[in-house]
Amino acid sequence: MAKNKSLGRWLISGPPLLYLLIFFAIPTLIMAFAAFRFPGDYGGLLPFIDINPESGKNELLIHAGNWQEFLTFENFSRFFEDTIYVELFIKSFWYAGITTLVCLCMSYPLAWLIARSPKKYRDLLILLVILPFWSNFLIRVYAWMIILGPQGYFAMTINQGLALVGIAPIQLMYSHFAVIVVLVYVHLPFMVLPLYANLEKHDVALLDAAQDLGASGWRRFWKITWPLSLPGVWAGSALVFIPALGMFAVPDLLGGTDGMMIGNLIKQQFLDSRDWPFGSVLSIMLTLAVLMMAGLGMMIGRGRQRNAL
Amino acid sequence: MKKLFLALMMAAGVAQAEDVLHIYNWNNYLAPETVKRFEASCKCRVVQDYYGAMEEMLAKLSAGAKGYDIAVPTGFAIPPLMKQNLLQGLDLAKVPNVKNINPAFMNSKFDPGNKYSLPYSFTTTLLGYNQNKLKELGINPDSWSLIFDPVILAKIKGKVTVLDDSREVFAAALMYNGYSANSVNPDELKKAQETIIKAKPYWAAFNGQSYIKELTVGNIWVAHGYSSDMFQAVADAKAAKRPFVVNYGLQKEGNTMSVDSMVVLKNAPRPDLAYKFMNFIAEGKNAADLTNLIGVGNPNLAAVPFVKADIKSIPSVFPDAQAMKKLQQLNALEGKQLRELNKLWTKVKTSK
Repeated sequence: MAKNKSLGRWLISGPPLLYLLIFFAIPTLIMAFAAFRFPGDYGGLLPFIDINPESGKNELLIHAGNWQEFLTFENFSRFFEDTIYVELFIKSFWYAGITTLVCLCMSYPLAWLIARSPKKYRDLLILLVILPFWSNFLIRVYAWMIILGPQGYFAMTINQGLALVGIAPIQLMYSHFAVIVVLVYVHLPFMVLPLYANLEKHDVALLDAAQDLGASGWRRFWKITWPLSLPGVWAGSALVFIPALGMFAVPDLLGGTDGMMIGNLIKQQFLDSRDWPFGSVLSIMLTLAVLMMAGLGMMIGRGRQRNAL
Repeated sequence: MKKLFLALMMAAGVAQAEDVLHIYNWNNYLAPETVKRFEASCKCRVVQDYYGAMEEMLAKLSAGAKGYDIAVPTGFAIPPLMKQNLLQGLDLAKVPNVKNINPAFMNSKFDPGNKYSLPYSFTTTLLGYNQNKLKELGINPDSWSLIFDPVILAKIKGKVTVLDDSREVFAAALMYNGYSANSVNPDELKKAQETIIKAKPYWAAFNGQSYIKELTVGNIWVAHGYSSDMFQAVADAKAAKRPFVVNYGLQKEGNTMSVDSMVVLKNAPRPDLAYKFMNFIAEGKNAADLTNLIGVGNPNLAAVPFVKADIKSIPSVFPDAQAMKKLQQLNALEGKQLRELNKLWTKVKTSK
């Protein structure tokens, strides 16, 4: 009986585990290995087996003695050779961080409102939050290009307003502002949904009890609602921060001449420069940086818990 | 059971009997009426699959994509395809209409003797502009100084986009400095890089995707791009009855030219149809369709009589012998050169 139970468990959890192993773990390992290889002439990696120019036959070109011809640290040293890569990392983290913060500030009241609205409206309101997903991502970005463009009514209204106060017109399109506005717009639902899922479960009785004991509204929020909602805040932040960090389409379309983010650089390595190894190095560095941030966040969280106890 | 089996056999038979030519092509790079006429003449069906960038096509074919008969790569992509053994040798005896192709486009440096490729159409990379605005400001668009000289740029700051393409931008900057568009000399590249970094603060963006729209709406006054896109922008601005005129032209320092050619893939399922198609396209009237549709240059001499007169008179679509001399095709760069160029490009992109 016990055996049957564990067999059933494996049968159910096996396929997704296998899926993750084949399509996530193994490719990640291949990428880690690729970071130490040389690039091939037409993309890909310098092959281990190739036509030997002397004999004209397909031969394994790697031997124990000449591993330096196939493995290298050059791709990693290039990353640190010039400060531009690290600077680009910092800039991308900055963009993603601001996006996450703005998303959080906008989503929290919204999620709260939905969670506290009458039950029969909640599903409808959540549906409205995810409604933008019904149209294609790129179409929504292009729509923003029209809104922010200098001939769009939005930009024209703002600039006319500025002209009244005597300020020179500003450019909204092709700017940091445009990139962050659209990053926030695109990622907002990813913050609302986990926050709503969390806030909906809060027991209102706790707030009532606090009120009976004389706690102010502000105090009730910071002492009860906010700490209880932290798992939702973390989940939402991760869901916004990580995709925003790797985004390349938005800076491509809306960013100015210095709008580049780390995602654009990685894409450039794989397509334009046909330099898979350096692209792999950049991807690995990005993964490491995200993991480090997550670890740091967890440590801070744990420290807080200990303090609270 | 037997009936079902029979039905299956028949279905398989029908599928086999249907003749299909698979073309891997740039988006909107074959006139629908040409396809219709070809389908009628060969009693077959044409199925197209599209790419938006040469690197995309190279990556897909290098990775072993199967099922395509014909692809339409730009010149510099032909040697990589050849070296990876992805192309079939052409038997030009099966394409009698090859006699129509302008000899100036045959026997290119990418495929001497046309062993693998047949010229299809070409574009030039140049500057498109808002004619009214430039006239107002008294700026002449016939030089690359329009996008590189800070003195001129100061008047049109934030109203200029350049292609998001390291090869094309460096080629323009090299020509502006009086060097070959194909230079790989580190000093010359360094000089070009300096030119670009100095001009960059005046540009609005690197834009290879939406400059047609930005020009026609009036958001941008000068765009670096392809002649066929500018042709579209002129037509769109006219159709939308804008209060300004969009125009485009070649630069006196020289321009790059991209010649796209038809190639037959090594693993083509239907090389017979591929030859029929190439011969059909090389016929003047059929070749002219594409030029009339999207305003691309045409390497087919027999096509000229069928091209609309107003297109024939555009110098960047039908360059004369004098202008032709100043057009350069970009070379295929080797891996190492490409990576060096992209290091310079990354520096440009991240410079402040």
